[in-house]
Parts: sequence; structure tokens; C-alpha cells
Amino acid sequence: MIAKPSLGSKFSIVLATARMRMLNVSRYKGQLFVEILIPIVFAAMPILLGRATGGENAEANFLRNTGTANYQGFMLIGSSTFIIVTFAFWLVGYWIRFEQETGTLEAIYLTPTSRVWNAAGIALYSAIRSLISGSVAYFLGSFIFGVNPFQGQLILALAFILVGLIPLFGMTLMFGALVMKVKEANSLVNLMQWTVSLLMGVFFTVAVFPPLMRLVALAFPPTWMVNGVRSALLGVGYFFGEWYLDLAVLWGFLLISPLLGYWVFSGMERNIRRSEGVGQY
Amino acid sequence: MASEGAVLPRRLTGAGALFSSLVAMAGKEFTIMTRYPVEFIASFGQVFALVAMFTLAGLTFAGSPGEGGNFGGVVIYGFILFMFLSDTLWTIGYNIRREQKQGTLEALYLSPASKFASLVSRVSNNLIWTSLLSLAGVWLMSALVGKLPFANPGLGLYLLAMTLSGTFGIGFAFAAITLRVKETGETLANVLQFVLLILCANFFPFSALPVGLQAISRAIPLAYAVDAFRSTLMGYPEGFPELAPIGVEIVIVTIFGLLMPLIGYWSYRAAENHERRSGGLAEY
Repeated sequence: MIAKPSLGSKFSIVLATARMRMLNVSRYKGQLFVEILIPIVFAAMPILLGRATGGENAEANFLRNTGTANYQGFMLIGSSTFIIVTFAFWLVGYWIRFEQETGTLEAIYLTPTSRVWNAAGIALYSAIRSLISGSVAYFLGSFIFGVNPFQGQLILALAFILVGLIPLFGMTLMFGALVMKVKEANSLVNLMQWTVSLLMGVFFTVAVFPPLMRLVALAFPPTWMVNGVRSALLGVGYFFGEWYLDLAVLWGFLLISPLLGYWVFSGMERNIRRSEGVGQY
Repeated sequence: MASEGAVLPRRLTGAGALFSSLVAMAGKEFTIMTRYPVEFIASFGQVFALVAMFTLAGLTFAGSPGEGGNFGGVVIYGFILFMFLSDTLWTIGYNIRREQKQGTLEALYLSPASKFASLVSRVSNNLIWTSLLSLAGVWLMSALVGKLPFANPGLGLYLLAMTLSGTFGIGFAFAAITLRVKETGETLANVLQFVLLILCANFFPFSALPVGLQAISRAIPLAYAVDAFRSTLMGYPEGFPELAPIGVEIVIVTIFGLLMPLIGYWSYRAAENHERRSGGLAEY
């Protein structure tokens, strides 16, 4: 009889999964380079558009509409957070699909452990990879656009990102359940990454949305994450006025979102195993 | 030697054969597309999200409602061209790669059908779909920023056709590169796409680019295509076209549209012959 895995064994699964995926991606250096390039190019487009639109008044208009005149920093923070959110959707949401495509999903189901530890390993891998890409892009982009990357409260900004990552991964687990059901992973992930980018206000504040849409946007942890980072670094203003109140909301998400994600994912997985089989795609 | 009465394989040459091959291959691609209905809905959703994102970004720089000059026209017409360019530039190479992965590329080479039709069929359905997406994008942009400028539709259509023809050529050339560099092709495509996005200024006027980058843009025919297309549809407002007088831009775009497909197809055949000789056609 196979013994029930200990907490140490479960933790080693998380590390082994993350390590395996890191090793895999380290073979594609060009791809890693593109990941740093994406947020910089992505931020450059609204920056250049804004310069042309606002002309000499670009900074003043931007200050009036967003609360900061530093539009380069504002866009860079948005696009660097975008890469973190996108990675979470592609790597965690796409995880089951990836295993299906590489033919390893059924082998994973034969191991005497819960899939949630594999998912945690993928989340760890996604967090490491996206934090490195996002940070390098932010610092390099700051150099290119002439922004001081060390302004504001860096530690507080980092706290918003780290606390926001966990509810984000909980959300992607729910999304992974949808991918498992609908199967068309590429289309869904593409749609989701742009929809979430729009809702979290990647290049603007969510105050521009109509009330109902603003409410939907505020139900997404990335919205609080990106606004927290912008407020900590650029002083655009927290949703509830103080940093600890906004961070408390993220903590609320942190408690609910992973549990909800796990519940939805497990339920969907159980249903699919009973009806059609998870290996089918 | 063929025995008497045996039917020799009919040679699939001439315009009729080319057209029927193209229709059959595009039909096959369409059948595959219809198997993924979520893709249709998702692509509409993506266009809406992207247009809304850039529009709202542009509006945060505007001082008062209605301010911001021609930014609606600049963004949406640049975006339309970007969508068509993405189809023609990358889809051909991507599909060749997919045939390699599926193991069907060699089988295609054994059939006596036109290779040219095979390449073009990869994007023909996408072009129709992208046209619908473009209309949806224009509608959304109008809803967000008000009525968009729309002038000279005939010339705009001609410039779009010539630009697409030119980008088909780049697509063939890129498919040739994909055959040679295999998996690295995807990374190359991504890098090139980002570089062209900036240098061809799809989402902003060229005047926003630093002077050094503007000089590089002037060396890229595609940049003239973007400039001519949107300036024409916006009715040549003050400061547009930005890179050269419109007459000069039309000539450049026409030459690009006529020459590039020939150069691109020639390079594809050269790469294909090289891979067939070296036995690397099915390797990936």
C-alpha cells in the first residue's frame, strides 16, 4: 500500500515541478528576451500616442486625469504588471493543456498525490519567471524612457505585488477549470489576458469606467495590485485613501480566491474524469 | 512506360487549376476553423479589449472632451492595418510549421497541387474574418470617441490591397526563414512584430517617434503604407502624411505591392529546394 505523502514530500513536488519548468524554459533564450521586450514595447505605444495627442500639455493633462504627471512610469508599471498577469493566465490556466499536449497528464494522474501541488509548483514557476521579466522590463524601460525607477516606496510596491500574486493564481485556477471544460485553451487565454488588462486599467485608471464596469474591475485582484503599485511609487492615490486599507482588500482576496479556485478546479476535474476523461483534447 | 489505356496524372497547371486548388485548400482551412467556435467569439472580444484599451489610454492625455486631434483615426486605421499585417506576415510561416509538426508537410509536397495556392490559402479565410473584425473595431472606436474621419475610400482600398500584396511577399519570405530556422522562427516573428509595431507607428503618429527612429522608419516601405493608408482615410489633415508627399507614398506602396510577392515567393522556393535537398523538410 502506498503511504500518504508527507507535507515535506508535497513541498518537494512543488519545488520539483517549478525546477523542471525553469529548466525547460532556460533552453529558449530568445523567448526570455522577448518577455522583457514585450512590456517595454507595450508601454511605448501609449506613451508615444499620448505625446502626440497631448502635445505640450501631455503631462498636465495626464496629471489632471490620473493624479501623476509621470506618464512614462504609469505606463511602465501597467505593462510590467500586465506581464505578471499574462504569465499567470498562460502558465497556470494553460497548465492542464500543456500536460495534455506533452502527453504527461495521465502520468501525473497516476502519481499518489493531489494535482494541487503540481499546480502550486506551476504557480511558483510563473511567479519567479514573471517577477524576473517584469522587474527587468521595469528597470530597463525606466532607463529608456528616462524615469527614476527608485522613486516612491519600493518595498510597499513589492508587498502589493507579492500579496496580489496569490489571489491572482487562485483566479487562474478557476480559469484553468474553464479551459479544461471548453478545451480551446489558446483562444480563452488570449481573450482573458486582454480582458483582464482592460479591467485592471493597464494604461489608465479604472475611474474612467462606467459605474457597473468599475465594480466588475474592482472585483479583480490585479486591479488592486496595479493601483497599489502605482500609488506606492507614483502617488496616484489608493482606492480607500490609505495603503493598509487597499492591502487589506488584497488580503481578503488572498484568503478567498485560492480556496474558491481549488474548489472550482477540483469539482470540474471530478466531473470531467467521470464523463469524458481529462486526456481527451 | 505507361501502358496503353492507362490514365496519366493530369497536370495541375494554369489559372483554373490554381484557383480550384486555392478554393479546396481554403475550404479545408475553413473546416478546421469552424471546429473552434470559441476562437470566433474570443477574437471579437480581443479586438474590443484592445481598441478600448488604446482609446482610453489616448483619452487620459486629452485636456477636454473632443480634444486630441486625429488620434481616433490614427489609432483605428493603424490598428486595422496592424490586424491585416499580422494575418499576412506571420500566419503563412506559422501554418507551414504546423504542417511540419503534424507530419503532413511532406504529403502536401507529394501532391501535384500548386505550392503558391497552398501558401495563400493559409490566410484567405483570416482576411475575411479580419475584415469583419475591422468593421467591429471601427464601430467601437466611433462609440468611444465619436464620428471618425472617413475620406477617399477608393484610394484607401487600393492602398490596402497593395499593402496586403506586399505583406504577402514578406509572409512568403518569413515562411522561408521558418523552414530554415525551425522553432526559432516563432521568436523571430515576435521580435520582428514588436520592432515593426514601433517603427511603422501603427498606434501613434510618426511625429511621436525620436528623430533617429524616424530615419529608420523612412527606410521601411511598410511604414509608408501605414502613413499613406491612414492619411488617405482621414482626408489628409494638417501634418499628414508625415513621411513623404502622398504621391510619393502611393508610388512606394505600389512598387512594394508588386515586387515583394515575387521576391518573397522566390526566397520561399529557394529555401524549400534547400530543405528538400538536405532532407530537412520534415524535421522540426
